[in-house]
Amino acid sequence: MMEIRFWGRGGQGAVLAAELLAQAAFLDGKVPQSFPFFGVERRGAPVTAYARVSDRPIEVRTSIATPDVVVVLEHGLLATMPTTDGLREGGTVLVNARADDPGLVAPPSARLATVDADRIALELGLGTAATPIVNTAVLGALVRVTGVVSPIALDRAIERVVPARPSENLAACHAGYAGVLVRTTEVPVPTPRPSPRAPPLPEGPLATIPSDVLRTASWRTRRPEIRLERCTRCNFCWKFCPDTAIALDALGFPQLIAEHCKGCGICAAVCPPKTIAMVAEGSEGP
Amino acid sequence: MAKLTLPPEEWVRSGHSACPGCAPALALRFLLKGLGPRTIVSIPACCWTVIATPYPTTALGVAMLDTPIESTGASISGLRAAADALGLSDLNVVGVAGDGGTADIGLQSLSGMLERRTNAIYLMYDNEAYMNTGVQRSGATPWHAWTTTTPVGPRARGKAEPKKDIMGIVLAHRPVYAATVNPSFPEDFLAKVEKARDLVGPRFFQAITPCPPGWRYDSSETVEVGSLATETGLFPLYEVEEGRLRITRRYGRLKPVREYLQKQGRFGHLTDPEIDAIQSRVTARWEELLRSERTSAEGRAQPPATDQAPTAAR
Repeated sequence: MMEIRFWGRGGQGAVLAAELLAQAAFLDGKVPQSFPFFGVERRGAPVTAYARVSDRPIEVRTSIATPDVVVVLEHGLLATMPTTDGLREGGTVLVNARADDPGLVAPPSARLATVDADRIALELGLGTAATPIVNTAVLGALVRVTGVVSPIALDRAIERVVPARPSENLAACHAGYAGVLVRTTEVPVPTPRPSPRAPPLPEGPLATIPSDVLRTASWRTRRPEIRLERCTRCNFCWKFCPDTAIALDALGFPQLIAEHCKGCGICAAVCPPKTIAMVAEGSEGP
Repeated sequence: MAKLTLPPEEWVRSGHSACPGCAPALALRFLLKGLGPRTIVSIPACCWTVIATPYPTTALGVAMLDTPIESTGASISGLRAAADALGLSDLNVVGVAGDGGTADIGLQSLSGMLERRTNAIYLMYDNEAYMNTGVQRSGATPWHAWTTTTPVGPRARGKAEPKKDIMGIVLAHRPVYAATVNPSFPEDFLAKVEKARDLVGPRFFQAITPCPPGWRYDSSETVEVGSLATETGLFPLYEVEEGRLRITRRYGRLKPVREYLQKQGRFGHLTDPEIDAIQSRVTARWEELLRSERTSAEGRAQPPATDQAPTAAR
């Protein structure tokens, strides 16, 4: 039996990746299992999903604590989440990253494989620049480095299961298969995490720090640009901002609180004189 | 400069963890603008418990109790009893829960709170599925809507059953006040909250709250999608005070439901006959609502006398 743990961020397709792999294994005549970790689901939040592939009926029903393969759809998770915890001796870590990305680490006995699935997905128009949908490219790479299912079965599974744009997803899968790179890692071992111990509960309120110390600006991929000369001071943008990220100055003109704006675009949509435009984050201001 | 139509004070802080374009975030922002700082909010497992508490911070400028998902109604009965025992008579006790935690899992405790005549406000923000756990259908999911547990394919057309009528369930308990609200109409929302704030006894709100990831539309369109819910008659805005029903946004001519449905990916699979079927249900319900308003004005829909005063608060 091969046990595979997927890590991704909400929207990248980690859960569907595990399901596609299971479907492919079924088409190969094997016994598969796949399910997501049940937790808070948010666009951008870390997501875990599991797949098992066996030649015999699978009795175990638990989440996977000692995987043979860890698949990481967003390489930042390597540093922030316990992605490789419990990885078996001689196991494989497959990461969506360029081979020269800094910070790529894997346990000493593991094989480290990389595939630049972001580039593949973007070239094929899968997802957006902020959230490329990388699951099919990564699955192509996974099949190449592990042989867990046959390439033809994976093709059939993608055709049957992928909800949209099957030909682009097939092409992504083939590009991932062709583009995966493997290296045996000699890089430093990440220090094992001490098992977290919950601190004793305080007397009184549990959470008292105002949440506006948190910066949610990094969530956005576009930002509003307010052209005050055409503003009628109707305050609709202030009224409908779900993040309280627009303030009104003494004269009633709106001011963007950029550190909190998540870039939803409601202010631009509700602005009667259309004086707010959404522009790509990182582009030049006025 | 246009006059502010809403109180300027903010009781929902920035930095919360709602998705971009979240209408439930707007609903709480408007609710608390109407209630002010002398408020305690009980929130069960739902999107809002996550939105409010990126630990160790809190996004609410008022006190919050985190309660189990089935217990919102019971928890506000307990909070009110405690507030009364402490002599905190000016405290607004409020429960805020999603549609799953209200119309499904928490229904018994909502019913208990209404039946005990608890002096508290309950707001259900209705994003029409279990959104916090990734879009599973709830009783409040509408007919034919796609969710991850009501798929669309050759033999499935989204949810096979119509939406649960939570207002009907609540009104059967004869609360002192119940109203539908919509964050796309903030002034109507605030007027109802301010009216409810000054009443004594059980008060209930159903807020329609569009969800960009769950309803499958771009986050910038939240206000427009919400407006269309009301302008098409799918989510009419009305209030029921002491059994008297009043429509608060009246339309001589409703927009076709198609305009609302085609904005959302969760209805993207609908065929013309399916849209027509939804349209005829919506039209029939709107006419039923107009009839209820007329009969309740004539006093015929007044609840029958009970063995105790319906407004008596405990």
